[in-house]
Amino acid sequence: MIFNSLPFFVFIGIFLPLYFSLKGKARLLLTLAGSYFFYGWWDYRFLSLIVISTLIDYIVGLELGKTQDKKKRKNLLLTSMIVNLGFLAFFKYFNFFIASFVVMLEGMGVDPSMSSLKIILPVGISFYTFQSMSYTIDVYFKKIEIEKDFIRFATFISFFPQLVAGPIVRAADFLPQFKNDRTFHWDRFTSGVGQVLWGFFKKVAVADSLAPFVDQCFAAPGGFSSLHLLIGVVFYSFQIYCDFSGYSDIAIGLARIMGFKFPDNFRTPYFSQNFSEFWTRWHISLSSWLRDYLYIPLGGNRGGSFGSIFFIVLFMFLMVLLSGWWWLALLNFVMIGAAYYYARQGATEKATLFNYMNLMVTMLLGGLWHGASWAFVFWGFLHGMYLVVQRLVGPYWNKLLNTLRIPNIIQTGLAILIVYVCTCYAWIYFRAPNFEIANQVIAGITSLEQFNVGSIVNKFWVLKGAILIGALLFVEITDFRFHYSRLIVANPTFRVVSFAIILWFLAFFGTYGSNSFIYFQF
Amino acid sequence: MKKLYWIFALLLLFFVGDRIGGYLLHQLTVKSQFRYSRMYQGKAASDILLIGNSRGLTFYQPYIEEITGKKTFNLSYNGMPINLAKLLVQDYLALYEKPALAIIDVTMCDRLNEPLISGFSLYSPYSENLSKYLIDSLPTTGYAGLLSHLYRYNSEVFQRSLFYLNKSDEDWLLDRTINEHLIQDVGNQEPKIDVMPFELAELQATINLLEAAGVKVQLVISPYYPPYVDRLTNLPVMKAKIEKATGKKVKDYAKGITDVKAFGDYQHLNKYGSKRYLDQLQQDGILPK
Repeated sequence: MIFNSLPFFVFIGIFLPLYFSLKGKARLLLTLAGSYFFYGWWDYRFLSLIVISTLIDYIVGLELGKTQDKKKRKNLLLTSMIVNLGFLAFFKYFNFFIASFVVMLEGMGVDPSMSSLKIILPVGISFYTFQSMSYTIDVYFKKIEIEKDFIRFATFISFFPQLVAGPIVRAADFLPQFKNDRTFHWDRFTSGVGQVLWGFFKKVAVADSLAPFVDQCFAAPGGFSSLHLLIGVVFYSFQIYCDFSGYSDIAIGLARIMGFKFPDNFRTPYFSQNFSEFWTRWHISLSSWLRDYLYIPLGGNRGGSFGSIFFIVLFMFLMVLLSGWWWLALLNFVMIGAAYYYARQGATEKATLFNYMNLMVTMLLGGLWHGASWAFVFWGFLHGMYLVVQRLVGPYWNKLLNTLRIPNIIQTGLAILIVYVCTCYAWIYFRAPNFEIANQVIAGITSLEQFNVGSIVNKFWVLKGAILIGALLFVEITDFRFHYSRLIVANPTFRVVSFAIILWFLAFFGTYGSNSFIYFQF
Repeated sequence: MKKLYWIFALLLLFFVGDRIGGYLLHQLTVKSQFRYSRMYQGKAASDILLIGNSRGLTFYQPYIEEITGKKTFNLSYNGMPINLAKLLVQDYLALYEKPALAIIDVTMCDRLNEPLISGFSLYSPYSENLSKYLIDSLPTTGYAGLLSHLYRYNSEVFQRSLFYLNKSDEDWLLDRTINEHLIQDVGNQEPKIDVMPFELAELQATINLLEAAGVKVQLVISPYYPPYVDRLTNLPVMKAKIEKATGKKVKDYAKGITDVKAFGDYQHLNKYGSKRYLDQLQQDGILPK
């Protein structure tokens, strides 16, 4: 079931009155049943995966509470990781690994006769798997209490507002909220409705209106002018932002209506002035998950581990084998030699080098989390490179700007523009069906052929998209000053007027037809 | 109780704003020079009626009027499906005296296009046929349009009516030449075209409506870029199905124009090509002299 569909409105119309009329265990059971129904509406067979993940992590959690034996605790953690990552590996990555393996063997002159399986990707598997794993890891490191109530634990894993596309909420933040009955609260309700409406505006009005133009650009970029393709890429940057943050807003708003507080998942990411800031504003729940459960365990800013070296060498090795570019092997050897020489200069240099490696590994695996394709890995690689280059060049860049006495406002604008342009460049690889199309889009834009308004096909879509992006940016920029979410609660007149305006926008600009959310595929 | 007032105030504001907005947009639609606005305002009387999808736009109206001296009205629209064309023809025949001739480009029968029919809901206040169709066949759109008048204007059709607010749409035709990339890439194209029984029935019904009103009906296939039509291997099958179902001969101009300069892309003639095509139609007696 997706939020922008009639069945969901019927479901929520029945669910919410029932939810507030029940209390205690009955309410919890209703939430769990509702969540399973919500998920099962898409494909009931995959409910079994959630149930198995839930059961395993629940039992592992209980067992971890019973023993202090280090070896046994480690084995329990490994069991949870193997089951969760095993499901993920099979359903999401099996065909990808097989296809890559075939390419690799072909590159080595071996003729493999292997076929892929017809595997359906269960919606939201990456989200609930990470949420479930974070519980076991936190229990293992004794950061949180063990949850003994199975119904409460199962509801935490399958909570329908954020089940299929996040935000990924940590057990430490979410589980304690189940312990008290969440009573109906008018301010929470109005604020939640406001966020849900804003989420629908982003998804139904902005993202879905931009989608046809973007689809057209990436289907056959060769047929379009330079300006047309450039607009297509800019539109995609807003489409994916509005699609995903729209879903998060609806999820957070629904949870708030039900009495739960979720952290923000997006904070106007395209206003970031550097790439580190971007990752504290974009898909915050995933980037913080990767930071806490991958980047820091690898060594973070402080140093490295076997994992850092292992993943980097593995990616270098795969890059050479899969691309068939053997000169890359030479380049890799040179890079490894240079890194080794640099690391030998001293402890600080060694720590810096490991820091770069940890960043790169985190971003590469973060890219792979999005989907089983080398395009996503490359997208992660680009963001890893941005972070590394920023750390290398950043101090000199700032020094240069200060020496040239460039006014702060221009420095800020320039920084935002550079981050945005680099982000868009990476989005091209994220969106394109393959590298060939991505390269065609880039070549098309940089050729600057027919860079004029007359060359744009479907100017109506562009006009509509420009109006909607303008409205979105207007609200996001002015929100810094007016804090609309607070005004909605505090000022009833503002609430009525702002809700009505969003509803008019939805009526006049909304794209209807149950378009799915992009992040469902992840 | 105060909370109920709040909800009531929101609903009231939404509906008042929606109706005022809907009224204002309606006024713009009425004033537009867009073909359907003109048609429903009684400003589209003609001797020759042209029907098609985006390929039907190559029936370049000013040039037809120039070479025939007859008043012409083009009902074509990008992606127009035959069932929508039937509804528009019904309305046209109810509003105007019968034209002498109707030309239908039958390649429009290759697809259905519900979103486009929904997009025409801005004209539903004028057309009982359209309103009834929306309620019966696309009830979500039909009822949403009754609930919110702003929603009726949520379409590209409305945006076009705005675009043609103060200028004629009779010049709506590609004015570019097919680019080198498309020429090179034609070998990679694998286009398909087909007609389903429902579309055949709707085409037959449209022909019947026109002929019952005494309108002479000509069926044609307008030109494609020749190397492209070579790859459109099932076009003859579609043509045969249409001829069998309607009992009428389809005049096939799919390869009628060979000059590369005449095309805007694979499926559409540009202004220059359109004139060459219309000259051919006149020579062959499909258009009057």
